[in-house]
Amino acid sequence: MPLTGSQAAFGEALKNGYLIAVDEINARGGVLGKKLELDFYDDQSKPDQAVQGVSKLVDQDRVPVLIGSFSSESTKAMIPSIIQRQVALIIPAANADNVMESKSPWVFRICSGAADYANATVSFLKANGAPKTIAIVYENTNFGQAGMKAMSVAAPAGGMKVVAVESYEAKSPDYRSVLRRVKQANPDVIYFCSYLLDATTLMRQSQEIDLNPRYYTSAGTGFATAEFPTAKGAGRNAEYTFSVAQWVATARWAGSREFDAEYLKRYNSHPTHHGMFSYEALQVAARAINDAKSLDSAKIRDAIRNLNLSMTPFGPIKFDANGQNQHPVIITQVQGGQYRIVYPQDAADSKPVIPAPKWSDRR
Amino acid sequence: MVDFLQACINGLLTGALYALIGMGLALIFGVMRIVNFAHGAFLMVGMYTSWVLFDKLKINPYIGFLAAGVFLFFFGYLVYLLLIQPIRDRSDFMQILMTTGIALILVDGVQLKFGADYHQTNIELVNRTLRFGPFAVNAAYLLSFAIAAVCIVSLRSFVVRSRTGQALRAIAQNREVAPLMGINVTRIQGLSFALGIAVAGVAGGLLLPALYLFPTVGDDYTLKAFVIVVLGGMGSIEGAAFGGLVLGVAESLTSFYIGNQWALIVDFVLFLLVLSLKPSGIFGRQRA
Repeated sequence: MPLTGSQAAFGEALKNGYLIAVDEINARGGVLGKKLELDFYDDQSKPDQAVQGVSKLVDQDRVPVLIGSFSSESTKAMIPSIIQRQVALIIPAANADNVMESKSPWVFRICSGAADYANATVSFLKANGAPKTIAIVYENTNFGQAGMKAMSVAAPAGGMKVVAVESYEAKSPDYRSVLRRVKQANPDVIYFCSYLLDATTLMRQSQEIDLNPRYYTSAGTGFATAEFPTAKGAGRNAEYTFSVAQWVATARWAGSREFDAEYLKRYNSHPTHHGMFSYEALQVAARAINDAKSLDSAKIRDAIRNLNLSMTPFGPIKFDANGQNQHPVIITQVQGGQYRIVYPQDAADSKPVIPAPKWSDRR
Repeated sequence: MVDFLQACINGLLTGALYALIGMGLALIFGVMRIVNFAHGAFLMVGMYTSWVLFDKLKINPYIGFLAAGVFLFFFGYLVYLLLIQPIRDRSDFMQILMTTGIALILVDGVQLKFGADYHQTNIELVNRTLRFGPFAVNAAYLLSFAIAAVCIVSLRSFVVRSRTGQALRAIAQNREVAPLMGINVTRIQGLSFALGIAVAGVAGGLLLPALYLFPTVGDDYTLKAFVIVVLGGMGSIEGAAFGGLVLGVAESLTSFYIGNQWALIVDFVLFLLVLSLKPSGIFGRQRA
């Protein structure tokens, strides 16, 4: 996981989740009667380091099961190593669909994929105003490209025309020209696929060039972190943005609120769904080892496959034939500096505010 | 038309900072012929200096950049005396090796001390937008531009008018004869190296509000600086300033009309064009 580097904020969120899970697991008796110990490897937000991490953890430290990394880029790089070494990998947070394309029996993913994000966003839009045009702005790595591809397919299927597709390189944070080109296309909706620093910069520069679509939507990630609506992130510029989310503290799943309270107590801030991904991934791993009654990787793999948990703080857990956990996606909107669930109806705790007020009308 | 002008304005704003970086390297490479592959790394050190002052002492980068400049002046002078002067007359290759080594040490040293995490400097000015009719200008960028413009003009008059500046140009014209004119070559060269590095530090401080901060942020700028110096003409401070502005506008227009990812490529396209069409650069003189 990325404990340092550009994705350090996410790595930290994941780590916090793991730490809460490991304490709970050990309080319940640990794994196979022994205390569970976590062996962290910092991949510095770099895919080549992630691959090295697999070597170190599996070949040298002989871990029975692997969880990680964070980004789609790093995780995808790890897959061949995992398959070669025949150790199960539980993916907590990598969103790109191509991460699962190996269809290997050793690979499992807890979180939903890019296609689910795009489909959920499109369903939400159709039910809330049915806009006709959409622009996609994405970071030019695996995560961004996956989000773009998924939305390029989902949008037309939902009756929307894709009027602009703009990628950007995250290293040079001047996106004004990208945003201006989007402004020229005059879309009803913008769909961003970005990490945290970019989410902040994009919203600030959207305000600067006075870009006013009716809906700002996003594939979560940067737009769904705890910092995003605060002064450390985009502050007031974050208001009214929609994001996909896979979990919020107010979700009606047993153990959700308790997890949120524990996280707040330990770390002085509320968790985002990343903390829940890692927490759940570790719980699943521990459960599988206990079910398998062995440290043999093949048995653990089978135990994960056979899991059918009807209720966890992350909702039901069941992996399909491809290793993908079937998880529902919800849509949130930043209202008053907080994330509120606005879709689907049965999970919502607030009504969506549409359209996003023009920048000149906000203050 | 509005979009075109807006893209040009954005280009000039970043171009002024490029001009500053280019002028620093023009002093070192253009005039002293020292191949300084560590230029971007010194820029990065300037950025970190400003950032530390901002993070720990709450000093606004628009004041902190001065401290970065001063610190890098002395640091640059020290580096020159200890590391560059001894290999001054050796081959270009030696200089490349030495400055690349310096760059590596600077980058890894900063990473060791500060970690590889990215940092964003959120000062109020960065969120302020000034509007002139249909044009929007970021307040922070405008301030950076203004300060950079002042620095560029001051630097040029220093080089052209002051005695030290004249001594420097004398050394650039003919190094063997200069000492006969009473010029202390070592001291003047050290001073100009230090000045070039200080200018890089100032540029770093001014860039801090606009960029993400991380140890390798300077790498792209080393290459850009060389492109600017070649574009403007070796040995010409004005050329570097002009080259910087041209590069800024070219990147901005490319970014808008063709695409964001092509902006970096235009740097090298310009580089190749200048080298093939007018190798001495726009303002350059043919050296005998």
